[in-house]
Amino acid sequence: MVLYNFKKLTVVPSGPALVDNVLSKTQRKTPTVTHKGYSIGRIRDFYMRKVKFSQQMFHDKLTQILTDFPNFDDLHPFYADLLNVLYSRDHYKLALGQLATARSLIDGIAKDYVRLLKYADSLYRCKCLKRAALGRMCTLISRHKKNLAFLEQVRQHLARLPSIDPATRTLLIAGFPNVGKSSFINKITRADVEVQPYAFTTKSLFVGHCDYNYLRWQVIDTPGILDHELEARNIIELQSITALAHLRACVLFFVDPSEQCGYSLEKQHSLFKSIMPLFANKPVIVVTTKTDLGWEEQLDESARAMLESFVSDSGGRAEMMKISAHEEVGVTEVKNRACDRLLAARVEAKVRGKKVQNVLNRLHLATPKVQNASRTPNIPASVLAKRKAAAQIAESDDEDEMMTGDNDDTAKQLEKDLQEENGGAGVYSMDWRKLYQLQKKDWAYDVMPEIVDGKNIADFVDPDIESKLHRLELEEDAREAVRDVQNDAEVGGYRLVTEEEMKKVKQIKGKKVMIMAESSREKSAHKHRSAIQRNKIPMRRSRLQGHLEGLGLRTEEASELVDRAASRTGKKRSRSESVGHSVARSESRGRSKSRSRSVSLAPSDGFSNVKQKAKAQEMERKRIKTGVAKYSKKGIADRSIHTKMPKHLFSGKRGIGKTDWR
Amino acid sequence: MAVRCQFENSNDIGVFSTLTNSYCLVAVGGSENFYSVFEAELADHIPVVHASIAGTRIIGRMCIGNNKGLLLPNTTTDQEMLHIKNSLPDKVVVQRCEERLSALGNCIATNDYVSLVNTDLDSETEEIIADVLGTEVFGHSIAGEVLVGSFCSFTNQGGLVHPMTSIEDQDELSSLLQVPLVAGTINRGSQVVGAGLVANDWAAFCGLDTTSTELQVVESIFKLRQAQPTHLVSKIRGSLIDNLS
Repeated sequence: MVLYNFKKLTVVPSGPALVDNVLSKTQRKTPTVTHKGYSIGRIRDFYMRKVKFSQQMFHDKLTQILTDFPNFDDLHPFYADLLNVLYSRDHYKLALGQLATARSLIDGIAKDYVRLLKYADSLYRCKCLKRAALGRMCTLISRHKKNLAFLEQVRQHLARLPSIDPATRTLLIAGFPNVGKSSFINKITRADVEVQPYAFTTKSLFVGHCDYNYLRWQVIDTPGILDHELEARNIIELQSITALAHLRACVLFFVDPSEQCGYSLEKQHSLFKSIMPLFANKPVIVVTTKTDLGWEEQLDESARAMLESFVSDSGGRAEMMKISAHEEVGVTEVKNRACDRLLAARVEAKVRGKKVQNVLNRLHLATPKVQNASRTPNIPASVLAKRKAAAQIAESDDEDEMMTGDNDDTAKQLEKDLQEENGGAGVYSMDWRKLYQLQKKDWAYDVMPEIVDGKNIADFVDPDIESKLHRLELEEDAREAVRDVQNDAEVGGYRLVTEEEMKKVKQIKGKKVMIMAESSREKSAHKHRSAIQRNKIPMRRSRLQGHLEGLGLRTEEASELVDRAASRTGKKRSRSESVGHSVARSESRGRSKSRSRSVSLAPSDGFSNVKQKAKAQEMERKRIKTGVAKYSKKGIADRSIHTKMPKHLFSGKRGIGKTDWR
Repeated sequence: MAVRCQFENSNDIGVFSTLTNSYCLVAVGGSENFYSVFEAELADHIPVVHASIAGTRIIGRMCIGNNKGLLLPNTTTDQEMLHIKNSLPDKVVVQRCEERLSALGNCIATNDYVSLVNTDLDSETEEIIADVLGTEVFGHSIAGEVLVGSFCSFTNQGGLVHPMTSIEDQDELSSLLQVPLVAGTINRGSQVVGAGLVANDWAAFCGLDTTSTELQVVESIFKLRQAQPTHLVSKIRGSLIDNLS
């Protein structure tokens, strides 16, 4: 289904605005600087680009206008005619046609001038050609400024047209001016059309919507029409005629027999007859309005006959109904009747068509051939009672009473109300257990152990557990009594241990403990041992003295030696063999003493000399080295120069066209 | 009467609720709004119970019940079953069934006398259905769809089936179920009737998108508010034809 929405047409710029727009865009979006020293090819390109760009901009703007505006040939006949009435079809088509021509002319101009530019031999010539091209385009557009202004007006009017769907269910209200058409539409819809006591208050079509039978109905209020020739009708009347002619609606022809509208009944009748051809294949209802003025009694014979002839002249297709919009009498009846008749007509037309075959299964009510009488609906007694009460209220009392009855029902407090009272959604959580249907009400809040695989902890509780425990204890007592009796003898197949065996076991266990203690001491003692070889460790003083005495030295000699050794441990002694000599010499010569003092700086921590210590320290340092230092690699902290000559620092001034490497 | 409502912006309320003549199960939502729609309409007559099944909210698709019993899938936890048992009247049998197709609500459609089941269900399950729900069980498909629970909804009064069900199928189903049937849509043209609608013998609830014409069909076929299925042919036919074609 085509939807007619004219509200989204883009604004049509006026002629000068369009020119200004395109020229400034050209200036902004193309390069602006050229120079006569440039090669001629480059200069030509510069100006050609400007010409082509302007042409493209004009082309786009005009194409936008041409595609936006509705094409008369594609429109629904109703809209086509309405647009013809409002804006004149010729004028509209001419305006669009001329714009289309202007578009192709501009394309031609651009093509010509681009061709000429190819032969231009200087910057000045190029510039002149460009000026000429743009000037011709702008002149062309400014010649069409009237067309553009007209289209802008059409656009503004189109956007304000009511959105009428020509295909939907429509009630069309027609009649002489001032007979009460707008009053009626105001009563049945919320259109809020202006009502005034003079003719042609309504000057265009108005749309309202109403509901009937669960369907949406479109109601169109038309301006009043006078009884004269079609050619003599003005634009306001012609809108009504267009709607009458093209919309497949139910026509409500309004007649004011009281003649308060200022037109005689004869005139109204002759109008009805003259526009009768427009009512072909449409349900028609002749609505006589303003019954509140009491014309029913005042009408004379001829007027009555005239009223009757409305129906008879229509060949019996029309029917007559009376309303008073002022007193709201008969308004709904007219609406319902009109809707019913239109729906019937539409359905009849659709049933004849093909489409209804596709939905035939949804129009079918399948009823069982045999129905088992025992299969009654299970409606609770409370529901039936409530229905009965409601029916009684509806019968006995008026609607107000029913309303109060309903209010009593809604006064019931719902969970939603509780939720709102207790902090709203997300805060309130309903007490599920309050609705439990159990034998006793207070059972609902009993603590229920969690159930897993259909069992909870209660299923595993043994009711006889106490007595079973008691029995077990008795049995244990009995067994102990028996053991006391046969102390030495075997109890339960095992022999009791003798005293000696016990002693040996203790011995073994004690030994075991000692060994373990020794071993762990050994281990802990060597855990942090130094890496120095065992033979470098200085001998203990007592051991050394014992050793020396064992070699045959006297005790005092040995102890003196030991003292010396202690004072310069680790000092290599080349003449260790002649112990006695060295003693004598050390006493006789002061120099040896001074020398011994000098070597007292020698390491005393297990190294035999400085060199050895330095070597050991070096080894230790190497061992400790980690990471990059371990392998003497380059680290991030090391200074380095990555590129010897960075180009941006060493290249000179940039010449023209030499900036590519950037 | 038929009520339009929504569960947390979803129109498929049949997914989140189960309605029978003797109880109503409603999913636990973020607020009590959905629950209160049911509560306002039903709480005076039958228990309206918050429930979850296997920790999910899609209870309408997971379980199936009528006024005699309620069949739960094997994934239902013991706590959930205990809660449901405590909340429902004692005459309602609550039974868990070991069926591989655990979305029982999709596979089974039932009223108080007849059950329509997916033909892929175990024969054992069919026996359980007959025992627990106390119904005759028929394996059948609707408009070529095996998920009968999703594509139809019927009570003791009448039923709505998938819109593409042929007239012959409708007649056959109608004589099988012994209730009047009509093919139609819910929720502005949705074909999953079972998901868009829950109904019992005196009330119906459908999604908020349901059009007035659809609502009219629902009220007529389920005999709500003095409407009769014959209205479909007499009164509503015009608007149906005008709307559909």
